[in-house]
Amino acid sequence: METLWSAGGPVTARDVQDALAHRELATTTVLTVLGRLERKGLVTREREGRAHRYRAVASREDHVAELMRDALDAAPDRGAALARFLGSIPEDERAKLRDLLD
Amino acid sequence: MESTALGLLVLGVLLAEPVSRALAGAHWPARDPVGALLAWQAVGLAGGLALLGSGVVYGLAPLGPSLPVAFRTAVDTLAAGRLPALGVTHVLALLAALALALRLVSVLVAVTVRTLRARQRHRDLLDLLGTPWPAVPGARVLDHPVPVAYCLPGLRSRLVVSAGVLDALDPPAVRAVLAHEQAHLRERHDLVVLPFVAWGATAPFVRGMVCAQVAVAALIEMRADDVAASAVTARQLTGALRTMGGAAPAAALSSFTDALDTRLHRITEPPRPLPLAVQVLVRLAAAGLVGIPTLLLLMP
Repeated sequence: METLWSAGGPVTARDVQDALAHRELATTTVLTVLGRLERKGLVTREREGRAHRYRAVASREDHVAELMRDALDAAPDRGAALARFLGSIPEDERAKLRDLLD
Repeated sequence: MESTALGLLVLGVLLAEPVSRALAGAHWPARDPVGALLAWQAVGLAGGLALLGSGVVYGLAPLGPSLPVAFRTAVDTLAAGRLPALGVTHVLALLAALALALRLVSVLVAVTVRTLRARQRHRDLLDLLGTPWPAVPGARVLDHPVPVAYCLPGLRSRLVVSAGVLDALDPPAVRAVLAHEQAHLRERHDLVVLPFVAWGATAPFVRGMVCAQVAVAALIEMRADDVAASAVTARQLTGALRTMGGAAPAAALSSFTDALDTRLHRITEPPRPLPLAVQVLVRLAAAGLVGIPTLLLLMP
């Protein structure tokens, strides 16, 4: 994932393998991992000739921001997906909080 | 059987409204959060049993002197390929009970599925983006300046603090925060809350249900504070709460600072725990409360 984030554009599995050459990964391993990331919606791929090119869906910062929004938005009516140290915030006040964050 | 059905209906309505409101407004829960959580579970369980049971008991009343007998008659009649002889009102009562049961179960399933999905997605991202924090095994640091600490419950739970927390707090205070979150994880507070989320979503127009949800959410925080305060000192915990509370973006919300003040006050000047005898009584009453509708339903 780091490799995809720093690549800046779509890369092939081969590129990822080369970038991680010091780890001596098999091509199938790289493809398996990329496939798993794709299923989780973190990576998209497009066909180009005989190979697939992979691209990160969002930047690292975007994902961190998504996690933080989840965490700060946490409310009991969402089935307590998270339990926050400072407690949850009532529905009517959360919009105000979102404005403060942006 | 009709009088049993009426009794169950009255019990269910009492528990869903006046009892829930009274329990949500009472002061003693702060002195015994665990007992109060048990009482809430009992109210929720007994209320559900009573409301659903009253419909079934009334619906099957013409078939026998008690629910087990009537139920057997109904099953035998259906097995023989005939419809049990029931009046319109009885059929309506059965349908109402069935509708309530279906609604409750479907809401519970929907809430659970949505929660599990949100958690799964959150956990995947965390494992990718969080850096393990060596000081506490299992804790992860998220690189963001806004201070936030939380836990992701579940079988594969995660503890998370943002870099903002590590900047704002010294290590003992961070340990206090983590002790609070670990209490949530260890005691599976997410499961304690879940039935009340489902009840609140099933009947959001019933004020008592909403009160229950809010009260239970407050009680698990009290419980986690109690556990954290016994793991670290009260001063470390309040220090952590104050610093985090002051730095959190939500500090601009008055409801948030009020809730925080109440919590701080409860930690610095803990209310006297309930006398042991009363604590035992609360637990017995909770067990008895679940026992009443169960007995009414199963009595031969």
